[in-house]
Amino acid sequence: MYLNRKKFLEMTAAMAGSTVMASAMPWFSVFNNPAPFGMGASDRVRVGVIGVGSRGLTLLYNLLELKNRMNLEIAAVCDTYEPHYERAKEVMNGEAAAYKDFREMIEKTELDAVVIATPLHEHAHQTIECMRAGIHVFCEKAMARTLDDVKEMYDAHLETDKIMLIGHQRLFNPVYLQAMEKIERGDIGPITMLRGWWHRNTPWVFYDDTGGRGTALDRQRNWRFYDEYSAGMLTELGSHHFQVANWVLGEVPVSVMGAGSINHFDDGREVYDNFGLIFKYPNDIHFTYDCITSNKHNGMQVQVLGNDGTIELESNMWFEEFPAEPPAVQQLIDDITDDENATIPIGGATWIPNAPIRLGGRYISPDYELNDTLLYMEGFLNFVRKGSAPEKLTIEGYNASIWTLLAEEAAKTGKEVVAPERYIL
Amino acid sequence: MSKTVHHSYYSMGTRFHLMLPGVDEDYGFRIFQKVKNELNRVEKKLSRFLPQSDIYRLNIAAKRHSAKVDGELFDILKACKLCHEITGGAFDPTLRPLYEYQQKMVGEFVPDQLFFDLKDQLGFDKVQLDEDNSVVRFGSHMLEIDLGGFGKGYALEKVKNILENSSVKSAFVSFGESSVLAFGNHPAGGFWKIGMNNYLKPGKTVAEFELSGGSVSTSSNFYLDDNGRLENHSHIINPKTGEIDSNQVAVSVSARSPLLAEMLSTAFLSMSDDEIEDVVNQYEEVSAAKADYSSGSPVITRYEKIEIAEDISV
Repeated sequence: MYLNRKKFLEMTAAMAGSTVMASAMPWFSVFNNPAPFGMGASDRVRVGVIGVGSRGLTLLYNLLELKNRMNLEIAAVCDTYEPHYERAKEVMNGEAAAYKDFREMIEKTELDAVVIATPLHEHAHQTIECMRAGIHVFCEKAMARTLDDVKEMYDAHLETDKIMLIGHQRLFNPVYLQAMEKIERGDIGPITMLRGWWHRNTPWVFYDDTGGRGTALDRQRNWRFYDEYSAGMLTELGSHHFQVANWVLGEVPVSVMGAGSINHFDDGREVYDNFGLIFKYPNDIHFTYDCITSNKHNGMQVQVLGNDGTIELESNMWFEEFPAEPPAVQQLIDDITDDENATIPIGGATWIPNAPIRLGGRYISPDYELNDTLLYMEGFLNFVRKGSAPEKLTIEGYNASIWTLLAEEAAKTGKEVVAPERYIL
Repeated sequence: MSKTVHHSYYSMGTRFHLMLPGVDEDYGFRIFQKVKNELNRVEKKLSRFLPQSDIYRLNIAAKRHSAKVDGELFDILKACKLCHEITGGAFDPTLRPLYEYQQKMVGEFVPDQLFFDLKDQLGFDKVQLDEDNSVVRFGSHMLEIDLGGFGKGYALEKVKNILENSSVKSAFVSFGESSVLAFGNHPAGGFWKIGMNNYLKPGKTVAEFELSGGSVSTSSNFYLDDNGRLENHSHIINPKTGEIDSNQVAVSVSARSPLLAEMLSTAFLSMSDDEIEDVVNQYEEVSAAKADYSSGSPVITRYEKIEIAEDISV
């Protein structure tokens, strides 16, 4: 089986009434119940993109893909960095107004929604100002550089009643949808631990021609290396997996502890090139997580360990702890136990797998052609038309960001950190 | 009464079971981990489904140009070639495109010209092996190698090596119940008694093999599920006709080498009694049984090496 758009819609429709859909991922129902719209100008959603660097350009391309079938207008693009500004103008071929100042953009161009993909420290004020200007926001992860900024963003979302979604695209991934269903159904038994890692072997330098670490241009372009602008791999990579852990367990952590250092790429960057964390969750469940940028052997993964099985979310695999015993094997075990040597009627295959089996496990989802970022964009635009989005979707982004920044505090102080009351929703 | 360490997991598209009677639980777990690592390594190498596997890459590369492979894969292909030759072409891991072609047809399959053209382009004899340089080239761009009738036997060979290099005295290994390895003696004493399952009366046997340090592999055109229900999964291509074999026949082969048992059981499905006997007579400690269910009840034919009496004439 191949999971194409049609099969995906059949799957989400079939799950529509399920507890897991309602409680853990209600946003998937939007694909079966999209907001109705005509193709006239009055029904057109007008979107602006703030920040069209590497991720912003990807999001822009996704919006362009949705343009025709969703009656969408990409009305404006914005970037302070000249090469990106020029590139975005070229991509839009004069069909969108181009700005270098986002305030000017939201003042001069009428917009229903913006997509924000600027450096992390810019997210909070841009998101808040847009929502206060009456514009719905999709903001790339993580939410903000400080805990207070994260909370202010959330409060502004409540105050303005505008949509604020955070770009953790796994929330719209078909593998995760099916994995959540399996977990809910008890296929891997009670969850006893989560493990995750993100290992790469790369200096992670986005721009080489900046004059080296510490220059003004490097601080602007390679902002992920500077403590003022980013928590490095914690906010830019780990936050995705912290969101997944919260989502799978349906809880936020009780506490987090950890450590980090720069032990390989000591080139003047201010953020860790490796770290290790332990999140404690309710019911004595732990999530261990590590991240390194000087070794890629392990790749990236989130494992959900249950008493009866393991789910590997990043590789779309499910492993059973105890595959069913064929009758002949059971007879053999009984015979050995009874000290009896009887003939075992075993010769001949007696089992037909109902799903492909590879390397000790089965695929959670069939192969699929669906792009989770594109699905998220489609969902966002539908929510914009409807005027609201499931609050749980916003809260997923909020809690991921809060616990990312608490993890940073734990790694920097070496202390076990709990969430201050004011950040708990 | 003896305690048995038992571990299982999914490997190579089926269920793998390892039973280690009388060993310490920790030691048994270590052996299982070793076995599992090796089976995963072999699957990563031989699976045509995994894009990083050696076979996957060979199937793409060797159609276009000479492809260099590592020593292990070259030895595997040499073993396939040898078995192809000794079975008169009945063992042929290149015929899958014929199966896929027939699967696409609706209704009763009637061979057409495209089918015959495809058949002409397949056959392991068109796999060229350059032994001096470990280089492989396919003589046809339609050729693909599918080691489905080889992999489990090869993997069991590796399991056997691990057991031989351990302090385990007795073990039983089942790979999807169609390929089993019996190591040492049964803990209750004597050889392991492997029965060929009766497809019409699951749980009853139609033939038996006694094993110690050997293997039994069974091939058939159909399966039973765990509840004994017959699933007709015709998937064997008759190399002579190129068509999917629809006979309800099962063949079990017992051999010291799991790999030999695996390859021969696949080949024997489409070989005549005389041809099977010729092969069985070439090898020490190879025997086979065929169960033909076409008449509604199993008709069993046994194949054993014929011992020629020593010439005592003077």
